[in-house]
Amino acid sequence: MMETLAALFTPQLVEATVRLAAPVILAAMAAVVCERSGVTNIAMEGIMLVGAFFAALVAWYTGSPWLGLVGGAAAGALYSLFFAWAAISLHFNHVVAGAIMNILAFGLTRYLMMVAYGRQGTSNAVARTLHDYKTAIPVLSDIPFIGKAFFDQTPIVYLALLSVVAWAWIFKRTRLGLSIEASGEYPMALETMGRSVVKTRYTAVVLGGVMCGLAGAFLSIENSNSFTEGMTDGRGFIALAANIAGGWRPVGVFLASLFFGFVDALQLRAQGLGVIDLPSELFLVFPYVATIAAVAGLVKRSRPPAAVGKDFSVEGGGD
Amino acid sequence: MRPDRARAIIMTSAAAMAAIGSTLYLASYFAGGLLALAALAIFGFLRRSELGAEGFAAASRSMLKAAAVPAIGIASALAIGAAVMLATGYDPVASYAALFYGGLVRNWHISVLNATPLIFTGLAISFGFKGGLFNIGAEGQYFVGVMAATWLGLKLNLPAPLGVPLVFVVGMLAGAAANLIPAALKVKTGAHEVVTTMMMAYAIRTLSPMFIRANGGDPASSAHPYATAQIGERLWLPLFKDVLPASNYRLHVGVLVAVAAAFAVRFVLDRTDLGFKIRAVGHNPIAARTQGISTARITFATLLISGALASMAGVTQVLGLDHRMFQNLNAGYGWNGISIALLARNDPIAIVFAALLWGVLDAGGQYMARTASTPNAIIEIVKSVILFLLLAEVVYSSSGAAIKRFLAGRKAARAASEGGRS
Repeated sequence: MMETLAALFTPQLVEATVRLAAPVILAAMAAVVCERSGVTNIAMEGIMLVGAFFAALVAWYTGSPWLGLVGGAAAGALYSLFFAWAAISLHFNHVVAGAIMNILAFGLTRYLMMVAYGRQGTSNAVARTLHDYKTAIPVLSDIPFIGKAFFDQTPIVYLALLSVVAWAWIFKRTRLGLSIEASGEYPMALETMGRSVVKTRYTAVVLGGVMCGLAGAFLSIENSNSFTEGMTDGRGFIALAANIAGGWRPVGVFLASLFFGFVDALQLRAQGLGVIDLPSELFLVFPYVATIAAVAGLVKRSRPPAAVGKDFSVEGGGD
Repeated sequence: MRPDRARAIIMTSAAAMAAIGSTLYLASYFAGGLLALAALAIFGFLRRSELGAEGFAAASRSMLKAAAVPAIGIASALAIGAAVMLATGYDPVASYAALFYGGLVRNWHISVLNATPLIFTGLAISFGFKGGLFNIGAEGQYFVGVMAATWLGLKLNLPAPLGVPLVFVVGMLAGAAANLIPAALKVKTGAHEVVTTMMMAYAIRTLSPMFIRANGGDPASSAHPYATAQIGERLWLPLFKDVLPASNYRLHVGVLVAVAAAFAVRFVLDRTDLGFKIRAVGHNPIAARTQGISTARITFATLLISGALASMAGVTQVLGLDHRMFQNLNAGYGWNGISIALLARNDPIAIVFAALLWGVLDAGGQYMARTASTPNAIIEIVKSVILFLLLAEVVYSSSGAAIKRFLAGRKAARAASEGGRS
C-alpha cells in the first residue's frame, strides 16, 4: 500500500497537477472577474470551446502555435462580447444567456469543423504545438519537488499562473479592480460616482473571455495537437465550482483549481500505473465527484457578490 | 335539451375530435390534421357565441399577435442560417427545401420520435424553472432512466400491462434519486444546482459504460461491443402501426405518454396546492416563506420531480425505440430540453409544440445532410438563433415601444397643428 502511494506521489504528479489545473485556473479567474462585476457567467464552457476551435484552426492554417494562441484569445473575447451584449445590453437573464451561448458554441464549432476540415470529430493536427515551447526558468526550476511543476512549464500554464497574480493585484490595488467590485456589490453607487456599470461589466466579461479563450487554446494546441468536438468536457462548469469553492477571490480560487488539477492528475496517474485494478471509469469520474464534494463542503464559508446575476439599468434603480 | 348541456356535449365531442385528429396526424395520417382543424373551428365558434362578434375579433387579434412573435423569430433565424450557408458556400434554397420536406413530410415519423424525449426533458427543466431552479443536468437523469428501463427490461418477465407501468415508476424513482444529492446540497448548504446537477450528469455519463458491460455489452466481442443486450419483447411499447397500418414501423406511442405528461404537469402546476407552492417559491422565496411555505421542502420536491420527469424520457426511449442502452449515446436530449423549456416559456402545452419544432429541425437536418449534403450542424446554429431571438423580448418590446412612441408623437403633433388651425 505504501509503495503504491509512493509510486503515485512523485514530482511528476505535482507537475501534472499544475499543468492540468491551468485551464481550470484560467476559466475560474474568468468566473471570479465576471461574478465580482455582477455577471453570472455559465457560458464559460462554450467560450472555451470556441477558443479551442479557433486556436487550433489558426495554428493549423498559419503553422504558428503563437498565432493560434492569439486566435484563441481573440475568439474567446469576441464570443464573450456577444454574451455580454445579450446579458448586459439586452437584459437577458444571465443564466439563460449563458445556456444559449453554450448551445450555440457547440453547434457553431461543429458547423465550422465541417466547413474548415470537411469532417466531424477531430480537426487536422497542427504542425507545432505550444508544448514544443516548454521553458525552464533558471534557478527557480531547481527548487526540489515543486520547482519543475511551477517553473518548467509550457506557455499557457505560465499565463495561467500569471493571471492569478495579476488579478490579485488588480483587485487589491487598481481602480479597475475597485470598479469591478463595486459593480458587483452595489452597482448604483458606482453609477453615482460617474462610472458606468455597463462599461465595467463589459470589460470584465470580455477580459474573462480572453482567459477562457486561452484555456481553450491550452486544450487544443498545448495539451494536445488538435480540436475535438466537445473537448472541454465540463471544465467550464468545474471552473464555476472552483470559483465558488475559492470564495470569489483569486488566491482561494487558484488553490481550488489546483485541487481539481490534482484530482485530474491523480486520476490519470492511477489509471496509467494500473496499480489498482478497477474499471477506468471509476477514475474518470473523480473530478466530477470532487467538484460536488468541494462545492458542498466549502460553499457556506463565503458569500457571493451581492448584485451577482442581477440585471442593471439606471432607470430600474440599479436592482 | 338545455343549452349548457348541449354546449357541454359539443365541447366534449370537439375535444375528442381534436385528440383523434392530432393522434392521426402524429402517426403520419396527415388527413387527421383536417379533423383537428375542424375541432378548432368548433371551439372558435363556441367562443364566438360566448364573447360576441366584437370580443371574439379582439381575442383572435391578440392571439394572432402572440403568434406573430415566434413566427417572425423563426423566419429571421432561418434567414440568418441562409446567410451563413451562402457565406460558406452551400445552397440555402435546396437545403431548406430538403429540411422541410424531410422533417415535415418524408421523415415526419422521425420528427415525432425525436420530439418524444424532448417533451419529457423540456417538461423536467421547465418544472425546475417554475420553482426557481435550473436543472441543467437533465441529461444525467435521462441516462438514469435509460439504465433503469434497460435493467428492468432485462430482468423482468411480466406482461406489458403490469410491466410497463412498473418500469415507468421505477425509472422515475431512479431519476428522482439522481437528483437527491443536488437537492440535499441545495437545501442544506445552498450549493448551486447548476454546478451539482451538471457534475452529476457528467459523472453518470462517465460511469455508464460499466453498466453496459455488466448487462451484456462486451467490448471484446463483435456482437454487442457498445450496447447492452436487448430487453424482453413483452415490455416494448405498442406501435401506432398495430392499429394504423400505414404508419412507420418504428413509431411507438411514447409521444402520447409525453403529451399526457404535459397535461399532467399543467394540472399539477396550475390546479394543485403543491403546484401553487412551487410557483410561489419560484416567484419570490421570501414572500413564500412569510406565507408559511417551507421553501426547503418545496425546493427539494421540485428538483426530485424534475429528475423523475427527465428520466421518463429515457424510459420511453428504451421501451419504445432503442430496446437497449447504447454506449456513445450522445443523446443531447437533456441539453435540448433546456432550449425547449426556454422556447416554450415554461408552458407545458407549448413545450409539446416546441419539441415538435426541434424534432422537425433535427430530422429534417439529417435528411438535408444526406440529400443536399449541407452539414446538419447548421441546424444547431439555426436553433440557437431561434432561441436567442425569441428570448430577446426586450428587443421586441423596446422597439415596439419606440414605434408606439413615434406614432403617438406624430398623432400628438397632428392634433396640435389641427387644434392650432381651428
